[in-house]
Amino acid sequence: MTSLLQFSFSPVAGHPRRRRQQQRIVASADRQALFSRIAPVYDNLNDVLSLGQHRIWKRMAVDWSGAKEGSNVLDLCCGSGDLAFLLSPKVGVDGQVTGLDFSREQLVVASSRQKMQSKACYRNLKWVEGDALDLPFSDCYFDAITMGYGLRNVIDKYKALKEVYRVLKPGSKASILDFNKSTDELRTSIQGWMIDNIVVPVAAGYGLAEEYRYLKSSIQEFLTGEELEHLALKAGFSSAKHFEVGGGLMGNLVATR
Amino acid sequence: MVRGSRVVEIISKTLSEMLVCPLSEQPLRVCEKSNSLISHAIGVSFPIVDGIPCLVPRDGEIVETDSDRTAADAKTDHKTAQE
Repeated sequence: MTSLLQFSFSPVAGHPRRRRQQQRIVASADRQALFSRIAPVYDNLNDVLSLGQHRIWKRMAVDWSGAKEGSNVLDLCCGSGDLAFLLSPKVGVDGQVTGLDFSREQLVVASSRQKMQSKACYRNLKWVEGDALDLPFSDCYFDAITMGYGLRNVIDKYKALKEVYRVLKPGSKASILDFNKSTDELRTSIQGWMIDNIVVPVAAGYGLAEEYRYLKSSIQEFLTGEELEHLALKAGFSSAKHFEVGGGLMGNLVATR
Repeated sequence: MVRGSRVVEIISKTLSEMLVCPLSEQPLRVCEKSNSLISHAIGVSFPIVDGIPCLVPRDGEIVETDSDRTAADAKTDHKTAQE
């Protein structure tokens, strides 16, 4: 059975730039399919694999975003909505939270979770299926943006950061939480060991071993904190700072437009 | 236009007003008939499924122009008349 993780780079004739564009489309579709497959158990696995710690990191990400009562905020690559559901009470009934993701299955889970909420503030949540590289929003629209475990999965991180910059109001912040690609060899080894010996076996219990094996290569291909800071500045942000959390396993980039 | 149409209620007026075409960044129009968001700037429609607007660029479909519709309508009318 062909693994979803083998990005099928089938030969494409023509100009090298067109071939690269075709390859990117195929890779993006593979990742979309991956996240759609894990959607039903995504929340449960996050809890199990991080021993519930992901909830703390996500609260920190929301605090760093600067979202407050009445804010109009975007949760990019929202998945099943963890960050969006933290933002919702924070911005309150006068605020607005838009959750955007490219996986319909994840959005269906998010929407179902919203229907189970009884508090009035959760009515401020809206879901949009969209592409982080071509956001369906006007320039300078949002007071704050969060992105949890999304940047590592987009096929063009620079373009994604430029889009985040474009739709942010001047002076506002983007708070981007993800795995930390450490420059420390020991920490990298520990992270790799944990994925191989804890994450993948646990995911295998849900029939998703291949999907979670993707995690290790995606971290290897990701950027270090310093590289993320430089990329954010290149994308136009006036300042960018990367904070290590979770004992250095995770990192949160805070970029100000 | 019927007030409080099902399409607008499903996706909420707020959402329909805040969204723009992901390709042209121009405003979108809600089309109740096709349950979609139309980008007139580039002639593309994006579906709304279960109240969630689908604005991934590749979800867009080329819409018929008014002249195309007129020609198609005329063809259908002529065929009906012949039958």
